[in-house]
Amino acid sequence: MLAAKSARGLVAPAVLLTAGVFLAPFLLLLAMSLWSQPPGSLMLDVTPTGEHYRRITTDSYYMTGLARTIWLSLATTAICAALALPLAWWIVRRAGRFRGLVLAVVLIPMVCGALLPTLGIVNLIGPLGVLNGTLKSLGLIDRSWKLLGTQAGILIGLVHAFLPLMVLPLVAAMDRLPRDAEGAAMSLGARRRAVWTRIILPLCAPGLLAGSALVFCATLTAFVTPLILGQGKIPTFATMAYQQASLVLDWPFASALAVVMLAILAAIGALGWAIRQALPGAAR
Amino acid sequence: MKLSGVLWALLTGAVLLFLLAPVAVLIFSAFDDGKFFRFPPRELSLRWFGAALDSPEYRGALINSTIIACVSTAISVTAGLMAATGLSRGGLKSRALVELLLLAPLTLPLVVWAIALLQIYARLGISGTFGGLVLAHAVITLPLSVRILLATLAGIDPQMEEAARSLGARPLRAFLRTTFPLALPGVLTAAVFSFLVSFNDVVVTTFIAGARWMTFPVRMYSQLRGQGVDPITLAIGAMIVALILAAVIAGELKFKWSRRL
Repeated sequence: MLAAKSARGLVAPAVLLTAGVFLAPFLLLLAMSLWSQPPGSLMLDVTPTGEHYRRITTDSYYMTGLARTIWLSLATTAICAALALPLAWWIVRRAGRFRGLVLAVVLIPMVCGALLPTLGIVNLIGPLGVLNGTLKSLGLIDRSWKLLGTQAGILIGLVHAFLPLMVLPLVAAMDRLPRDAEGAAMSLGARRRAVWTRIILPLCAPGLLAGSALVFCATLTAFVTPLILGQGKIPTFATMAYQQASLVLDWPFASALAVVMLAILAAIGALGWAIRQALPGAAR
Repeated sequence: MKLSGVLWALLTGAVLLFLLAPVAVLIFSAFDDGKFFRFPPRELSLRWFGAALDSPEYRGALINSTIIACVSTAISVTAGLMAATGLSRGGLKSRALVELLLLAPLTLPLVVWAIALLQIYARLGISGTFGGLVLAHAVITLPLSVRILLATLAGIDPQMEEAARSLGARPLRAFLRTTFPLALPGVLTAAVFSFLVSFNDVVVTTFIAGARWMTFPVRMYSQLRGQGVDPITLAIGAMIVALILAAVIAGELKFKWSRRL
């Protein structure tokens, strides 16, 4: 056991870095979103104004963008859940000695960053890409299927990027399931479907909930994938914030957009927490 | 095998194929001889790999990315190991709170942070500098190191280090001779993941990188946003992805990386 003084000394650098460089900017962001920047100048006016928030809530460009982003996030979360459930179950119950290798494949989108897989997806779904090329040479289509620059293209990219966030918590949750639970249910006469809906899904609900929250939040704030696969034609809330901060250079307005994103994430976090409390077995 | 088993395996196979496809296509498309990738390609060649290795402008961005990733990984793993040791061996009363604070960057949105950081860096005049980039990268990789190393230290018996102390070894020496060698696989895992996160990051870096310290992903991102990708970028991307793939498969088979995340 270390003395409390040396333990504090060991923890100090990491705490200073995280609190000073990571958390402090979030507080400053709240202040900066109330400042304003006169048109055509980079000078800041620090008299507090709610103008940016008014603009976001009244301008239909931003509200449609927000609605589109929430719809994309919900769709991505649902598709990820649908794909991850069978995969995670297979990893836990049937993969055997391939488990490690399959998990390494699952980790690919996480360890390659946002950009490299997206570059691959451009060549996969583009008008001259692998998918269209294959379908054409098989004679199934004669004109390219347009995916780049559409919401479908963005969905493919988002699902690919964030699927691991759903698979890993599910694998952890399913690993904790007793192996004989299904056998017991089936010996008492339950059918396959009932085993899933009454045994497996309820017991994995916390993992599914954690994965859903992670995927939803990641999708809501993603801007690299939507910008590249949407080819700039489909603005989402995060790409708008990116454009304001990096290209338009209206930083106070970008800050307000960022604060709105943060508020939505906080609401999602609170909702997730409430659902978690309502789940059976939450107290344990 | 029953029909349901076959269906299950097919479904799983399809999902795995979907996970692998973008990376496989990226590697394959780098072998296309043409200036723009099309499938099926007219001719395959190694031409763009050769061009990639000869091109000095890309080498600059790659070297920048590597230097920034190495320095920030060193900071992240050192601070992370210190913090994990203090937390798991120190008996601090505020342990839960400190852990929550240190792991917060994993759940808070990086874009939101980057938009704030951009403005603070501009005010301090460190936007686009080496120090500014390393600081940002050290902060986003630190929580990963802390989490991996906390899990690692939880599996190591502290009594060995205490025995070394009671036999007269000084604290640092006792740590380096007992706990550290046992924690080495975890330290290595933390280092590799920190390096990968820093090397690949575009979400934060695109806001704060400048012309002097342009990283490879930021360069590629602005290409993708603009005129499209040139085949040299494709070839470099393919080589990076192949390296990462080899490292991750080796790490998973040897150190069970997926369990430490």
